[in-house]
Amino acid sequence: MKRIAASLFVLATLAPAFAFAVPAKKIAPIIAPAPIPVEDEPAPPNDALEPLNRVTFALNDGIDLILVNPLVTLWNGVMPTFVRTGVGNFFNNLDDVYVGVNHVLQGNGGAAGADFERVAINTTVGIGGLFDVGARMGLHKVDGDFGQTLGAWGIPTGPYLILPLLGPSTLRETAGRSVRVMTDPRSYMDTVPSYSLMGLEYLQTRADTKANEGLIAASSLDRYVFVRNLYLQKRALLVKAAQEKTSSAAAEN
Amino acid sequence: MAMRSILGPMTRTLVALCGVWVLLSCANAHADTGAPDELVRTLAAQMTQAVRTDPDLQNPGSLKISDFVQKNVVPHFDFDRITQIAMGRNWAKASPTEQKQIVLEFGKLLTRTYSNAIASLKDLDVEVKSTRVTTPNSDVVVKTQMIGRPQPVAIDYGLINSPGGWKVYDVTVEGISLVAAYRDEFNGLVSSSGVQGVIDALKKKNGS
Repeated sequence: MKRIAASLFVLATLAPAFAFAVPAKKIAPIIAPAPIPVEDEPAPPNDALEPLNRVTFALNDGIDLILVNPLVTLWNGVMPTFVRTGVGNFFNNLDDVYVGVNHVLQGNGGAAGADFERVAINTTVGIGGLFDVGARMGLHKVDGDFGQTLGAWGIPTGPYLILPLLGPSTLRETAGRSVRVMTDPRSYMDTVPSYSLMGLEYLQTRADTKANEGLIAASSLDRYVFVRNLYLQKRALLVKAAQEKTSSAAAEN
Repeated sequence: MAMRSILGPMTRTLVALCGVWVLLSCANAHADTGAPDELVRTLAAQMTQAVRTDPDLQNPGSLKISDFVQKNVVPHFDFDRITQIAMGRNWAKASPTEQKQIVLEFGKLLTRTYSNAIASLKDLDVEVKSTRVTTPNSDVVVKTQMIGRPQPVAIDYGLINSPGGWKVYDVTVEGISLVAAYRDEFNGLVSSSGVQGVIDALKKKNGS
C-alpha cells in the first residue's frame, strides 16, 4: 500500500514535467514563413487609355454627385425594401436568361440547366421574377455574360475602359455588353418605356452597390487604381472559371 | 490509524499536484488553440455575437467599434506581412524607418475603414467551409462563407503561424484580394512620387 502510494507520488511529481514536455512535442516547430514572392506579382494592368479613362472616371463622379446619388437616396428612402428587392429580382430574372445563354455558349450545360431552372421557377412561382424563390431552394444566381464568353473563347481583354455612366469595363467586356444591348427586348420598345426600364434597372443596380462604393472610397488611396484592380481581378476570375468549365466539358466529350 | 496519518498529507499533495498538472495542461492547450480554422470560427462567432448584443457596435463610426476591433481583432492580424505583400517589390526600396511608418499607417487605414463594416455582421453568419494547407503548420487558407444575404459571399483568410499564434495576412472576397488592390495603388504611388509618396498618401487618408 505504502509502495503504491509512493510510486503514485513519484508519478505525480513527474506529472508537471510531463505537462511541459507533451505540448512542447505537440507544437510542431514553426517553420519560418515562406518569403513573400515578389516575382509572382501580376503584370501591370493594360491601361493604355488611362488619361482618357481618368477623365471619364471624374465625369462619372460628377454625374453621380449631382444626379445618381440623389436619385439613389430618394429611391432608397421612398421605396419600401420589398419593392426594391422585387425590382432587383425582376431584372435579375431577365438577366438569368442571358446568363443561361452564355453558359450554353461556354459549353457549360450543367450551369445553363441550373440558370434556366431558376428562370422557370422565379417566373412562375416567383410571380414574374419578383421573388427569388430559386435562391431559397439553393439555386443561387451566378454570373455569366457575353464578355465572359468571349474570354472563355480566348479573346484577350484589351485595354481597360471607363464607360460614361456605366463605369469600369474593358474593350472585350464592352463588346460583350453591346451584344447584350442589341439582343435586349428593351432596345426594340418605344423610347419612353425602353429608357424607363433601363433607367430603373440602372438605379436599382446602383442602389445595390452603394454601400460598397462607400467602402471603396473610404479605403482607397487612389480610387481610380483601386477600382481598376478590383474590376480586373473580378473579370479575370470569371473568365478563368468559364475556361476551366469549358475545357473540362470538352475533355468529357 | 498510523497509515491514515501518513496517507492524509500524501493524498493532499497528490491532489494538489494533479491539480497543477491539469492547470498546466489547460494553459498549454489554451495557448495552443492550434487550428487556424478554429481561430477564424471562434473569432467570427465572437464578433457576430458581440455586434448582435451591443447596439453601440451597430453604429458605424462609434468609438466603441474601434475599441472592440483593437482589442479583439487586430491582435489576430499580421500587419507587417500584409504591408510587405502590398508593397511587393517596393518593400525593399523603403528604409527600415519608412517600412515601420508604412506598416503603422497602413494598419491604421485598414483598421479604421474595415472596422465600420463589422456593423453589418448583425444579420450575417460566418461558416467555416474548409482549410487549404499551403505549407503544413505554417501557411494555410481558411475558406468561409458569409450567409444571411440573398447571395452567400465567399471570404477566404490566409493565415500564417507565428510565435503569437496564427495570424491573418490576406483576405479575399469572392476570390478578389484586397491586398492586391493596394499593391497596384502602392506601385502607382512609388513610381510617381517614391516611397515617401506612399507614406504621405496614407497619412493624408488617415488624417494624421
